[in-house]
Amino acid sequence: MTGSADIDLDGPSAPLLEVRDLKVHFKTDYGIVKAVDGVSWHVNEGETLAIVGESGSGKSVSAMTILGLVPAPPATFPSGDVFLRGRSLLKMPEKQQRKLRGSQISMIFQDPLTALNPVFRVGDQIAEMVRAHQDVSKHTAKKRALDLLGEVGIPNPAVRLNQYPHEFSGGMRQRAMIAMALANDPHVLLADEPTTALDVTVQAQIMALLEKLQEDRNTAIVLITHDLGVVASYADRINVMYAGRIVESGTADEIFYEPRHAYTFGLLSSLPRMDKARQLRLEPIKGIPPSLAKVPQGCPFNPRCTFATDACLSEVPALVSVNGADHSAACVHSDRVAMAHEERAAAQ
Amino acid sequence: MTTSEPADMATAAQSVIVTSAHEDPDPGLAPDKVGKERSRSQFADMWRRYRRNKLAMVGLVVVTALVVIAIIQPLISPYDPYDQNLINTLAPPGGDHLMGTDSLGRDLYSELLYGLRLALIVGIATMLGSLIVGVALGAIAGYRGRFWDGLIMRITDIFLAFPYLIGALLIVRTFGTGVTQVIIALVVLGWSTGARLMRGQMLALREAEYVEAARSIGASDWRIVVRHILPNAIQPVFIYSFTSIGVAVVAMASLAYLGVGVPPDTPEWGRLINQGIEQVQVAGKDYLWIYPSAAICLTTLAFAFMADGLRDSLDPKLR
Amino acid sequence: MGKFVIRRLAQAIMVVIAATILLFIGLFVLGDPFASSGDKTIPPATQEILRAKFGMDQSVPMQYLHYLGNLFTGDLGVDFDQRRPVADMLGAALPATARLALIAIILDILIGIIAGIIAAVWRYSFWDVLVTIVTTLAIGVPTFVIGIWLRQTVSGFWFFPQVPRSFTQVAPWYTEVLLPAITLAIIDAAFIARLMRGSMLEVLRMDYIRTARAKGLSERTVIMKHAFRNSVIPVVTYIGIGLGTLLGGAIITETLFQYNGVGFLLYRSILQNNNPVIMAIVTFGVLVYVFLSMLVDILYAYLDPRIRLS
Repeated sequence: MTGSADIDLDGPSAPLLEVRDLKVHFKTDYGIVKAVDGVSWHVNEGETLAIVGESGSGKSVSAMTILGLVPAPPATFPSGDVFLRGRSLLKMPEKQQRKLRGSQISMIFQDPLTALNPVFRVGDQIAEMVRAHQDVSKHTAKKRALDLLGEVGIPNPAVRLNQYPHEFSGGMRQRAMIAMALANDPHVLLADEPTTALDVTVQAQIMALLEKLQEDRNTAIVLITHDLGVVASYADRINVMYAGRIVESGTADEIFYEPRHAYTFGLLSSLPRMDKARQLRLEPIKGIPPSLAKVPQGCPFNPRCTFATDACLSEVPALVSVNGADHSAACVHSDRVAMAHEERAAAQ
Repeated sequence: MTTSEPADMATAAQSVIVTSAHEDPDPGLAPDKVGKERSRSQFADMWRRYRRNKLAMVGLVVVTALVVIAIIQPLISPYDPYDQNLINTLAPPGGDHLMGTDSLGRDLYSELLYGLRLALIVGIATMLGSLIVGVALGAIAGYRGRFWDGLIMRITDIFLAFPYLIGALLIVRTFGTGVTQVIIALVVLGWSTGARLMRGQMLALREAEYVEAARSIGASDWRIVVRHILPNAIQPVFIYSFTSIGVAVVAMASLAYLGVGVPPDTPEWGRLINQGIEQVQVAGKDYLWIYPSAAICLTTLAFAFMADGLRDSLDPKLR
Repeated sequence: MGKFVIRRLAQAIMVVIAATILLFIGLFVLGDPFASSGDKTIPPATQEILRAKFGMDQSVPMQYLHYLGNLFTGDLGVDFDQRRPVADMLGAALPATARLALIAIILDILIGIIAGIIAAVWRYSFWDVLVTIVTTLAIGVPTFVIGIWLRQTVSGFWFFPQVPRSFTQVAPWYTEVLLPAITLAIIDAAFIARLMRGSMLEVLRMDYIRTARAKGLSERTVIMKHAFRNSVIPVVTYIGIGLGTLLGGAIITETLFQYNGVGFLLYRSILQNNNPVIMAIVTFGVLVYVFLSMLVDILYAYLDPRIRLS
């Protein structure tokens, strides 16, 4: 595929895509909005990383920053960087960034109806993606679009190729978007709430499709969502974000079975579990997420936290390992959270 | 903008202009401080938003000034605008005559004042007439739907198909000269735009959820229309009516320029321009047509600024 | 799509017929062209003769049907003044108006669309502010004031033909058309610029523009292909209607510049109470306007696939 030869500076163990201490602040009339405030994560080939959080947690902004889709005023990047195979993306000139967009890193968005241009045919839009990064004829590009539509499971692709987005159903549109995103075989696929606008049954289909495509192409997927249910079946690793920061990070098993942050615990307690014999009361998290212009002092979750003490007000807890390996949490009371979770699990 | 009728385009285009042309609030203003809880009435909110728009305030001030001047015109006019003084024709500005005299020796300043009064009377009368007819018919069409909608819309189509000025010209020629005739002509040609706007709003709001809610508690049709729909539906029409005053003033002036409409010796701005131009051959008499032209511009712009400002202040989304 | 077109066509025809009936009533019934008015005194006997000559002694519906019948054979009657065939008069004036309309529209499009795009893409920049200010002012200044101002200051200057001038001075069409075209274009271009700007601003906020950027397309492609194609739709419809209005005869502007088009002809005819000419021109104007509105609707449906296929 296109894209200049990448020199693997850090050796074979370097992550495919790495975000290091990224901060994205917006200057607004209401003050500085800290959309992303010191976030680090990485994803490797063939892996699925889920970034979970409520609306306003900064998860979408971090993804869009990777692609350079965040307009630079009013956004500022006080610190941090993004690395694709060791190359800094934020320091790259715009022209080079553009070469990567759609060829090495692709993104699919939440609402496929508004994300596709209504006045162009679907096939043309996919072909455009191909021709933007590959030097092929219109004919070849269209053929490729046809193949892609078939690959993502759209029936009757030859007819669909010449139709307009509003003639597709919701699920088909999202498949078309996925086809478009994968047209140039990107290394990384960023999926921003890909199933939120879809019916539940269609959601499962789309996620299964993504999984299959990932197996076929060894693509890394960064799945951004607020839906823990979707995450449970498909994610390898999970980052939980709150108020612009990562509050817990670990494998899917670790997060679901051994949560260590009060917020994660809260999220899990509010999830209905169909796989348990007895259902405990659902415990919603009281309150609402803070405005990113006015993040509370200390741990940003403390106003809503049932475990909060004075220690939580003084300074922001650091993200530290809770098991000596890669499972980390930014909570002073992670052991109390562990206990509470065990009690709850035992009771079910 | 999914319309399928001919003249809907004009209104649709109009409404796109109206809603999307003046997007930004005035860039030179201090931002509102977030977090301060304000519990004010809707009007106070509107007024606050309006006040921040410098152009709109200028418009408001100018329009108010013009209205006041027009009302007290008989008192402040230095001369009777009809008073001819054939000894002192074409006097330059200055001295006894602030703006000089025209070819019949009339004081230009007094003529302008009278013209303002006339323009505002005709403008506002036309606006009211068009508003009443347009809103009534538009509301019926929008609310009743189907048969009434079809019938009324065909009628508005017919009236919209007539070119504005030409239609007005014909009506005035047919019914004779006079201010009343001009007003009637302009209303006949102008009501259809308001009707379209109103109907569009009605159609949209009729389906709104709060209307269903009102119906479900047993409110009568009439009550629903008047109390719930009308206050919202009438907004675009209300905004447009300010612009339409300017349109009417210009139309009357255009007719008078062509020699039609008001009686030939009326000191009307368009008429003054016509007469002024004839005198341009005499050196240095440009002011004879420039002053009335400026008066028309000033009036039209002031109303246009107000209309813009009203639109911005009524639409909370733009804030 | 076909049904849509037919329905619109039927509507259009209905509107035209109703309009002409109204017109007919207004002209021939309510106004009496042969009455004595002002200095023109016509002895009653002559009035009788004139009326008979022009078929005006028949009942009104008969007159109308008679007229319609003639219309289909292309016979627009003869004018009251000099018995010239109205069709010829119209035919002579029409090309001038058509030229004027086309040049005005071209100016509109060039200035308006480009200004609108620039203002939207470089929002808050100097150009945006300039466009906003200029268009606001331009809209507030009436067409005929602009026309008069242009005429008084610019005509006779350089290659612009002198206005007013005697009939013996003939200016070549390409210079003659300039000042009226500019006058007409200024206000329309201002509207178009605002419309384009507003539409473009809305479109640039849309998700599919973000998708286009995420594809790695150049900013120029994003704007000129993806954004433009969507935002130009309302502008196209506005231009279509503007063209329809202009073709019907811009009466003030043509009269102002003594431009021998349909508008000027109409004005003179109205002053003379020359009904057949008035009837013909206004009917033509209505016809053109309605027809163009219909075309515009169809064009709109074509440009926006969401409408086309619903």
